[in-house]
Amino acid sequence: MTISTKNQPNSSLPRYLINGLATSPGYAMGRVYKIAAKEFTIVEETITEEAVESELRLFRQTMEKTFKEITKIKESTLERVGQNEARIFDSHLMILKDPSLTLSIQQSVSKDHKSLRWSIHSSITALIQQFESIDSEMMRERALDLRDLYNRIFSILDEAAPTFSVGQFSEPVIFVGHELTPSILISIKSDNVLAFATDSGGRTSHASILARAMQVPSVSGLRNISALAHDGDMMIVDGTLGIIILNPNEDDIADYHNKQDKYRQQQRELFTMRQLEPMTRDGKFITLHANIELPQEAEKVQDFGATGIGLYRSEFLFFGNTLPTVEEQCEAYKHILNSLAPNPVTIRTLDAGGDKLVSEISISNEANPFMGWRSIRVCLDREDIFREQLKALLQANEKGNLRILLPMISGLPELRRSKELIKTCQAELEEEGITTPSVEVGIMIEVPAAVMQVEQLAKEADFFSIGTNDLIQFTLAVDRSNEMIADMFQPHHPAILNMIYNTVIAAHKEGIPVAVCGEMSADPFSILLLIGLGVDELSMTPWSIMEAKKIIRSINYEDVNEIALHALHYDDAACVDSFLHKRFAQAFADLGITSYVPAQKAK
Amino acid sequence: MISRSLIVTNKLGIHARPAGMIVDLTAQMKSNVTFIFEGTRANAKSILNVMMLAVPPRASLTIEIDGEDEEEAFSKLEQLFNDNFNEEPA
Repeated sequence: MTISTKNQPNSSLPRYLINGLATSPGYAMGRVYKIAAKEFTIVEETITEEAVESELRLFRQTMEKTFKEITKIKESTLERVGQNEARIFDSHLMILKDPSLTLSIQQSVSKDHKSLRWSIHSSITALIQQFESIDSEMMRERALDLRDLYNRIFSILDEAAPTFSVGQFSEPVIFVGHELTPSILISIKSDNVLAFATDSGGRTSHASILARAMQVPSVSGLRNISALAHDGDMMIVDGTLGIIILNPNEDDIADYHNKQDKYRQQQRELFTMRQLEPMTRDGKFITLHANIELPQEAEKVQDFGATGIGLYRSEFLFFGNTLPTVEEQCEAYKHILNSLAPNPVTIRTLDAGGDKLVSEISISNEANPFMGWRSIRVCLDREDIFREQLKALLQANEKGNLRILLPMISGLPELRRSKELIKTCQAELEEEGITTPSVEVGIMIEVPAAVMQVEQLAKEADFFSIGTNDLIQFTLAVDRSNEMIADMFQPHHPAILNMIYNTVIAAHKEGIPVAVCGEMSADPFSILLLIGLGVDELSMTPWSIMEAKKIIRSINYEDVNEIALHALHYDDAACVDSFLHKRFAQAFADLGITSYVPAQKAK
Repeated sequence: MISRSLIVTNKLGIHARPAGMIVDLTAQMKSNVTFIFEGTRANAKSILNVMMLAVPPRASLTIEIDGEDEEEAFSKLEQLFNDNFNEEPA
């Protein structure tokens, strides 16, 4: 953090520039609106016998109101985000009706003659303490649910429930808070939001996912922004670089207007580029698909110029407290498939484990989770869950545009068993009178063993999708979250390029396409290599598609093919990178490509 | 009143989801249902109580049921435990 001594326009407030985590791209400038953790005043009060009746009446009314409010939030979550997120509130409702909570409060009022406020406070606090002392992480987390409930009940008692209604703001604001909880996010209307800035939270936190779905810039991991910023302060949020400036000076504001203009121009270009084909100057067509995390994002991807979905990570449906039912899954899949039809939609089956723990299935104490019980291994061990997902997928495929993608395949038996299960599910549905169209089944190429057996796999899979993050991690034996060796995570390592090339050769021999859906597919220099190596499809976050299209339309396939084939024989990643920079850095600058970062820093 | 033992056979023990399933079931019963684990008694109609027992996998649990539908309640609970709460066995 830097504090500048430069003069402030119309203010003596100190300027802060804070680096955080870019969680949703774009630029915004406006006034801060703080979502503060509320404080409630509670004192131990004794009441008279006569007051008991009215306190108990107030208690019933409060609980009823709380129940209604949570139900409303649950419904709006269901509508705006999804069934899984809405489940959080189901357990809140169950706890709210729990006799061990309600009786304890009632007795404290009627027997001990304590005020309702004190009774609620002491009952819930005692429960929170009990949960926090349990020797099980899973149970300790439930204390958070009780805290959320505590705040909500007192907000209602104080009639100070945070309501972010349209009328409350004369202009849209920047929401600043320690962390945006699902219940706060859901009550914010998109017309009121310029941006989000929070102390904590990662790219996959609720706030980040929702910000991207709403196409609002967002920066998280700002440590203490919620303490530094005050209501009404000016703030600039740069969601592309992950920076915020509190109380900006004139230079900052000029810089912001510049960036904002460029960004808007890009957005306009995006609109005009939308209709242009992603084709190289010598006429090679590259399919550009979008990666999405929420079913709701599906409606917008075509606006970015995507002609399909290259990766929908279905595990996001499984992050709730309980497993989604077949019906819930089917509805989510159908929404995506029908939004894109007749364009193809690739849905990856449950990829639990590793760093993505699914509460009900995952084992949290594995010594080596990335090489542990995860992904397809979980699916084939828990056939009950896998079959439910396959049936939901098959039933959702009304328009026949589904492609099923199996993650973390390390050998033929996993592919064969999965295909068998798909056939069985199809037959079972047929018996129930539901005929489903035939479906393409592809595999992720992300385990080095799959590359070594890629010729056999190509004979039995309908398509390949290279997951570059895991493939690099496993091939180079580099855990990129380990800072000591993070610079060894090199996407352009000749070993990686050779693996990609071998995969393409084997696939094309059998006439099946190869997609790349990892982070490499959006890096400008990597795009050159991937196309040069013969990759057919690139799938990336929607807002990266325009740049990828620009790059593709500026190059000759024959050139990048020659370069990529040479790169296969280079000594190391540094040689590849320096060659690419020499050859293309100026061209990219001329094209106005803004996003490129040195490959080893790509994250 | 009946008092019998059941063994928790799912891999993760009685965490939030099985607790919800238990309460869903006991709430429909007229009888009082009590879980006893390591000397602690818990009202099985309260999700908070059941979760707080934090019963680990393979543990044995005493179940006391008192009321007109006690046999039915027990057999339903027994079924739920035997099905590992639709989860993986320990």
